[in-house]
Parts: sequence; C-alpha cells; structure tokens
Amino acid sequence: MKIVVCIKQVPATGADKRYTADLRLDRTGVEAIINPLDEYAIEQALRLADAGTADSVTYLCMGPDQASEALRRALAMGGDDAVLITDAALAGADEWTTAKVLAAALDKLAPDVALMGMASDDARGSLVPGAVAAMRDVPLLSYGSELALADGEARVRRLSATGFDWIAAPLPVVATVTDQVGEPRYASLKGIMAAKRKPLETWSLGDLELSADDLHGAALTTVTDTRAPEEKPPTERIENVPAPEAAAKIADWLEQRKLI
Amino acid sequence: MSNDILFLAEFSAGKPARSAIELATGAADLAAQSGGSAVALAYGSGAASGGAALGAHGAARAVVLGDEDRPAITYAPAAVAAARDAGLAVLAPATPNGRDLAAALVGSLDLPAFGPVRAARVVDGVLESEQATLQGSVITTARPADGAPTPSVVLVLANTFTPAEGGSGTAEVAQAPDAGESALSRATVAESHEADAKVVNLEEATVIVAGGRGVGGEEGFAPLRELAEALGGAVGASRAAADAGWIPYQLQIGQTGKVVKPSLYVGAGISGAIQHRVGMQTAEHVIAINRDPDAPIGEFADLFVVGDLFEIVPALTEEIRRRKATSGG
Ligand SMILES: Cc1cc2nc3c(=O)[nH]c(=O)nc-3n(C[C@H](O)[C@H](O)[C@H](O)COP(=O)(O)OP(=O)(O)OC[C@H]3O[C@@H](n4cnc5c(N)ncnc54)[C@H](O)[C@@H]3O)c2cc1C
Ligand SMILES: Nc1ncnc2c1ncn2[C@@H]1O[C@H](COP(=O)(O)O)[C@@H](O)[C@H]1O
Repeated sequence: MKIVVCIKQVPATGADKRYTADLRLDRTGVEAIINPLDEYAIEQALRLADAGTADSVTYLCMGPDQASEALRRALAMGGDDAVLITDAALAGADEWTTAKVLAAALDKLAPDVALMGMASDDARGSLVPGAVAAMRDVPLLSYGSELALADGEARVRRLSATGFDWIAAPLPVVATVTDQVGEPRYASLKGIMAAKRKPLETWSLGDLELSADDLHGAALTTVTDTRAPEEKPPTERIENVPAPEAAAKIADWLEQRKLI
Repeated sequence: MSNDILFLAEFSAGKPARSAIELATGAADLAAQSGGSAVALAYGSGAASGGAALGAHGAARAVVLGDEDRPAITYAPAAVAAARDAGLAVLAPATPNGRDLAAALVGSLDLPAFGPVRAARVVDGVLESEQATLQGSVITTARPADGAPTPSVVLVLANTFTPAEGGSGTAEVAQAPDAGESALSRATVAESHEADAKVVNLEEATVIVAGGRGVGGEEGFAPLRELAEALGGAVGASRAAADAGWIPYQLQIGQTGKVVKPSLYVGAGISGAIQHRVGMQTAEHVIAINRDPDAPIGEFADLFVVGDLFEIVPALTEEIRRRKATSGG
C-alpha cells in the first residue's frame, strides 16, 4: 500500500504577515513551517507505516525552492522520499491551480491513498483535497479523526451531528485527517541525519506535461484590493471589583446592546 | 450562462439546515443585483419537499439532487450536472459538507473558488467578495480572473446572511439533470455511532457561552450551561476542554472545530489561542472572563472581565435572571 502525503509550506502561525504591492502574500522574513494540520496527516501516514499497513510514504509539495525545507523536515519525522513541484509560472497559485498541479503529480505517483491535511493555515478553504479527488475521479474521504486501510478499501472515522460514522470507499482515494489523529511525532536526531540521504526530486510544470496556459496564468481568481478591517472600539475592561458588581456591569453592557 | 445565483441547500431529517435558509436569503439578494433568480441545489432527506421552505426565503427554483441521508460528497455528481454552465455563482456553506461539495464543483468544472467570505456583491455583472485574511488583520476583495469560467464557487460562513422573514413564494421544484458515473459517489456510511446525549448545532446558535481549560472539569461546565440558558444560547468549548473529554467534540470552536458567528460569544477560562480565535472572531460581540489580566483573549474581546469564572459566571446568571424577572419578560 502506497501513501502520498501532500504537505504545504506556510508562514509560521501567528507571525506578522503582510501583502506585497502586487497583492500577494509577502513571505520575506517570515519563518516558514509545515502547515500544522499537515503534520497530523504525516503522523497518520507514519502510524500506518509503523503498523506495516503502508509500504511506502512519499511527501508531495508544491511551492517555491525553499519549500524543500518542509519536505526535509517531514522526511526527518519518517517516510521514504519526497517530490517538490516548483515552477516560476506557479507564483500566485490559487486553490484551483494548486489542485490541478497536485492532481497531475498524483496521477504520476499513483498512490493508493493521497493523504492531506483538513485545511491550510493561510488559504483556509479546505478545497484542494476535494478538487484533487474530482479532477482524478477518485472518492474523497474527508475530516477523518482516524484513517484505516484494509481489503482494498479505505475508511475514515468522521464526526456526525450527534456521534461519529465510519465512511468507506474503494481504493484509490483522497483522504483528509484532522488534529484528532494524535499528536505529530518529533524528528529525532537520527531521523534528521537519515533525512539528508532520502531521495528528494524536483519537478517542474514540464515534468507534469502542464504549461502556464493550462493553468489560466496561475489562478482563476484575482485579489483586487486589500484594506484594514473596520476600526473596532478598544476593549472595555472590568477588573478589581467584587463579582456581583462585575455581574451588574456586564448586564448593563448587554442591555445597552440589546443582548438581553 | 445566466445571471442566476445557485446555492447548496442541505436537508436532514426532513428539514432544511439553517444554512439553506440563510443562503436562500443571500442568493435572492445577490440575484436581485445580477438580474437572475435564486436557485437551490437541494440534497438530503426532505429535499424533494423543500420547495415551500426555500421559496419562502427567496429561492425561485429548487433542483433536487437527491432525497436521502447519505454522505454529502455523494451528491457531487448531481451538483456538478446542475451547476454546469449555470449562473454567476454557487454559494456553499463553509461547513465540512459544504466545503466537500464546493471542492468537487471546483475540481470537476474548473471553477474559481472564494472564501470563506464575509460579504459578497455583484459589480458589473461579476461576483465580487470580501474575505478576512491573515487572522482577520486584512480584508481582501477578490473576483474571478478575466475569462475565468462561471459559476464562481463561494464559501459562506454561518450567520453571514440573516434569513428574511415572511416571504410567501414557493420554489418550483425540478429533478437534477442526469449525472453520469463518478467515483465521488462511491463513499458509503459503513458504521454509524450515536452519542447518548443530543448535541446542538453550534453553527446555528446566536448566543454561545464557551468554556476552556479554566473550567477545570466536566462539572465545571454546569454554571456555563446555566448562563447559556439564561441568555437563550448554547454551550461551546475550546479544544483543550474537548480533548480533556469534558464536552463532545461537536461543541469545539476553532480552526478544527466549528466556525461560529453568533451575535454574542462569552468565553470563560479560555486563553484565546489563534486556533480558537479563527473560529469565533467574527462574533458580533465578544465577552471574555479570565483571571489572567494578560490573557491574549483580552486583546480582542469587546469586554474583558478579569476575575474567577466560578464567581463571575453564577453572579451574572443570577443578575440576568433578576433583570428578566423584573422587566416582566
Ligand atoms: C493544528 C491545531 C489546531 C487547533 N485547533 C483548535 C481549535 O479548533 N479550537 C481550540 O480552541 N483550540 C485549538 N487548538 C489548540 C490551541 O492552540 C490552544 O491550545 C487551546 O485553544 C487552548 O485552550 P484553552 O484556552 O481552553 O486553554 P489554556 O490556553 O490553557 O487557557 C486556559 C485559560 O483559563 C484561564 N483560567 C484558569 N482558571 C480560571 C478561572 N478559575 N477563572 C477564569 N479564568 C481561568 C487561564 O488564565 C487561561 O487563560 C489547536 C492547536 C493546533 C496546533
Ligand atoms: N501547495 C501545496 N502543496 C501540497 N499540498 C497542498 C498544497 N496546498 C494545499 N495542500 C494540501 O491540501 C490541504 C488543504 O489545503 P486548503 O485547501 O488550501 O485548505 C492541505 O492541508 C495540504 O494537505
């Protein structure tokens, strides 16, 4: 059983970020990390490898040259090899473009499971996995708190309105997992050393037989404006007063806003 | 292509989800701007008889994708057939099911994707949307690139549109066009496990009282429940409280929980980590109760009450009950 984990490199959570003059995310001087939710996908894949269910774990990332660091970091956690798709024509890629490129790469890698995080920290659309599944015409099993593989079938445990379900589909599939799969492991020193010798290939659009024309430039969407959010009034504080007095003040505040 | 505004209308147990009603209102509003009609893509049990409910909130037509309770993604082929070359935009709720179907539309029909949006409008015949990015520090306006295919796929957060009351129309109901074979319809529910206690759908709550690690345990949620009841709201939680098993995961708010947009959010014993914040920062009013005067939630709450939640929450419940009683409500 072959798993490919799609990981995205994103600016560190909570870091100070800006837009450039041409309305793209300014990534200069911001620490880059593996999208935190993708670490859970890595952890899920490695658990299946530890259990002997998965024979190989490959990492796939579309991003700039520096994104190879994210792949090395993933390889230090475990797994076998990695592919970076990088191409000048991909600057400013939106979710459709990303899906198109990942789908082409996955066609080439032909895994039983393409495993992804439930959302990327920066785009936050949770759209890439389902778009990839549709483009490749394979089933989508999303938002799993666990992924199980057996008998030519994949299953994810997914929260329902009142409890949880196991959703099943025949392989190959695209699957996404949540932060409930279990905390991602740390890379050991040995893992970091081993990662340096693991194969990491770099592919361009040409290697996927795609061109900028197939990608509608790099995006189907365009940002036309950025602005600061509406100014919020400063936080009001209630402190150093006994609870009943604080409660009366909160109730006044709620009444003024017609919330009670 | 037409100027119609389509929207995904989820049904379960015979009724439309609140998102379906909200999006009917939003789609009708946008359709009035574009000169088209609001068209529901209805799925789930009750969808076939949902014409009246959807029409009452602004839908002119309802295309029924299917009327069974099965994984939402299996309705993707029908949604794709119905959305092909149809209209300016498809609105989808920014829920797990809504995102799965929206993604399938984007991938199957090569469509531009937007959102989750905080506002949308039609400008010169094009759907333009506003999105809060970078943890809410920047508002971006986006539109389809020149020559991009239609419809645009737009994720919409709960409570973005307020359901219009008292509409009288009934949506004309039609079956979805033939969908053809697709692997996306192959997902099935292999096992279903119901919890003992019923949990509310937090996305539909207009008042939420949320508890975090500071609540200290399962029993610590009791005073929060009383406050929620006094305010006519529901109880939610941080991941720390859900991870600890004090409350079901269905009630977790945040990046990996529910994204909520109530008119009032009260957070007690919650520090305000970024992953929690992205799930509640669009609440209209935010009150935080925390004994740490430097808790991060104090930096973005509208009202920050510094103190012990076990003193303040019960006192507030009592005060609200007292005022409600004296105002003769
Ligand atoms: C990938 C990822 C996804 C995540 N997704 C989510 C998510 O969806 N939702 C989410 O909530 N978190 C999420 N987290 C976790 C998040 O980072 C925080 O760890 C979590 O939100 C902390 O929960 P908390 O505020 O309840 O606990 P803490 O941060 O421990 O805060 C507890 C607070 O309670 C206060 N307190 C203690 N006792 C009292 C008292 N008696 N009275 C008043 N105040 C008191 C303390 O001062 C403190 O501020 C995620 C993390 C990761 C890495
Ligand atoms: N550039 C990328 N390279 C590899 N995987 C990606 C990329 N963008 C998104 N993904 C995968 O798709 C998931 C959802 O991303 P998104 O749709 O952007 O929220 C992520 O958690 C990743 O697993």
